[in-house]
Amino acid sequence: MALTLTCPICGQRNGYEFRYGGEEKGPRPDEEGLSPEDWCDYVHLNKCVAGIQKEWWFHRDGCGAWFTTQRDTTVNLEVEQPEAQL
Amino acid sequence: MFGRHKPLWGKKTRLKSSYDAVIIGGGLHGLATAYFLARDHDLTNVAVIEKRYIGFGGGGRNTAIVRANQRTSQNVPLYKEALALWPVLTRELDYNLMFFNCGNLNLMHSEAAMNAARMNVATAQFHGVESHLIDAKQCKELIPALNISDDITYPILGAMYHPPGGIVRHDAVVWGLAKGAARHGVHIHQQTAVTGIGVANGQIVSVETDRGKIHTPRVLLAAGGYSAAISYHMLGIKLPISVLTIQAMVTQPLKPILNHVVSSGTYHAYANQTLKGEIATGAHMDPWPNYTTQTTAYYIKHQAEALAEMLPCLRGVKFMRHWAGLADMTPDMAPIMDGNAPLKGYFMNCGWGYFGFKSCAAAGKYMARFMATGNCPDMLKPFTLRRFAQHRLMGETAALMSYSPDN
Repeated sequence: MALTLTCPICGQRNGYEFRYGGEEKGPRPDEEGLSPEDWCDYVHLNKCVAGIQKEWWFHRDGCGAWFTTQRDTTVNLEVEQPEAQL
Repeated sequence: MFGRHKPLWGKKTRLKSSYDAVIIGGGLHGLATAYFLARDHDLTNVAVIEKRYIGFGGGGRNTAIVRANQRTSQNVPLYKEALALWPVLTRELDYNLMFFNCGNLNLMHSEAAMNAARMNVATAQFHGVESHLIDAKQCKELIPALNISDDITYPILGAMYHPPGGIVRHDAVVWGLAKGAARHGVHIHQQTAVTGIGVANGQIVSVETDRGKIHTPRVLLAAGGYSAAISYHMLGIKLPISVLTIQAMVTQPLKPILNHVVSSGTYHAYANQTLKGEIATGAHMDPWPNYTTQTTAYYIKHQAEALAEMLPCLRGVKFMRHWAGLADMTPDMAPIMDGNAPLKGYFMNCGWGYFGFKSCAAAGKYMARFMATGNCPDMLKPFTLRRFAQHRLMGETAALMSYSPDN
C-alpha cells in the first residue's frame, strides 16, 4: 500500500504531496559554545531507525503546513505509536 | 539456493568461532573486500556474514551501469580505477562479467546544465578520463532513436559523452567475486544474521550472530542500505545517512535500438538496453526513508512519460518487471569509508547511495589495504566520516536532484 500522511489541516492525503523534513531531533542547539561535533550531530547524523520514528513533514503540494508524525520505516506506514526506544 | 546442493563458489564451510576479519554484508563491497584481503594481503581467515543470500541487496538490484565521470576530483580517480578493473577481474575471476563499454550519454536540457557539464568534462579530462561535450545533432548520430526536436517538455541541448562507461552484468560480479574469494579460502555464510558487535576497551572483539559468537579483531560494515541502522542499533554510532527506495524496471525484450547508456537528470530517467534486449530503466527515488522495497505505480507512469518523450519509438512497449532497492544517501552524495574510528578494528564502507555498483571493485581493493595494514590509503582519505563535523563535504551533487532532507 502506498504511503499516506495525516496533515493537521488537510487530513489524510497521498504521500507524494509531502516533502520529508528529517528525523525529529529536538530543538536547535544553542549556538553559544556549540562544538562542530554537536552541530554535525544535529544537522547531519541520523538514527535511521528500522521501526517507528518521529519525523517532520511539509505539505508541499497542499496547505504548506510543517508537522511531525510517527511512521514505521519497515512497512512505510504512518502509525500512532510513539517512537521506538533503543 | 540453501539446500543440500553445493554453492556455486565451492564447498559449504562451518562457521568458526574465530576469524581474523569479519565482513558484515555479502554484497558487492563485502565480497570485493574479502577477495582483495585474500589476494593482496594474504588475509584468508575471513568470514563474510550475510543475513539473506549474497547479492540480495543493491548488488542484484542496481541497473548495472558503470561510469567514471563523477563531479569531484576526490571521487573521479576511485571510479576510474573501478572502471579499469572490470576486464582485469573478468580474467582473474575466470568469470564472464559481461562488461560492455558502450559509453554513457548524460543529456543536458538547459544552458545552465551545459555549463555544469563543461566543468564535469574538464574534471574528467584532468584525471585522464575520456569525456566530451557534444551537441544535440551529435547525440542523434550516436542514438538515432533519440528525440532531439524542441516539441518535448525538456528539449535536448547536448550531452556529456563518456565512451569508456557502459554496463556490467551485476549478478555475475557478485557470483564471480564470491567464487574468487572462496577460492582463496574466505568463508561465506549465508542465512546468518549479525545480532550484535562486541567491544572491549574501545576495540572490536567479537561479532554475535544468530548462529553463534565469532571472536575477531576486525569488522567491516558493508551492509549497503542496512549499514546506518546496524551502526546505530548495535554500536550507537549515528551516520549522516538517509535510506531511500530507488525503483527500476525493464521492458519486454526488443531488437537492438539503444547501444549506449542514456540518462537525463531533468527527466529523472536513465535507460540502457541489456544484452537480453530489454530496456532497463530507472527513476529517481521515493523521497522518504524506509526499509521496504516497495514499488509504486507513480514511477511506472513517470518512466513511461519520460521514455515516451526522449525515445518515442518506445511508446506502447510494455514493462515486464519492476523492482526496488535501498540507497543510503549522504548529504554530499559521496560514500563513507573509514576505519579504526571511533573504535579500533571497526571499519565502515557505506553511504554509497546509488554509486555502490560502479565503485565496488576499487573500494574493495582499498578497504582491504586499509584493513590489512591499519593505514588509510590516500585514495580513501577524503571519504572519512569526520568530514561532516569538519564541514568538508564534497559536493558530488551535480549527479541528479536532492534526495534527502538536507538539500
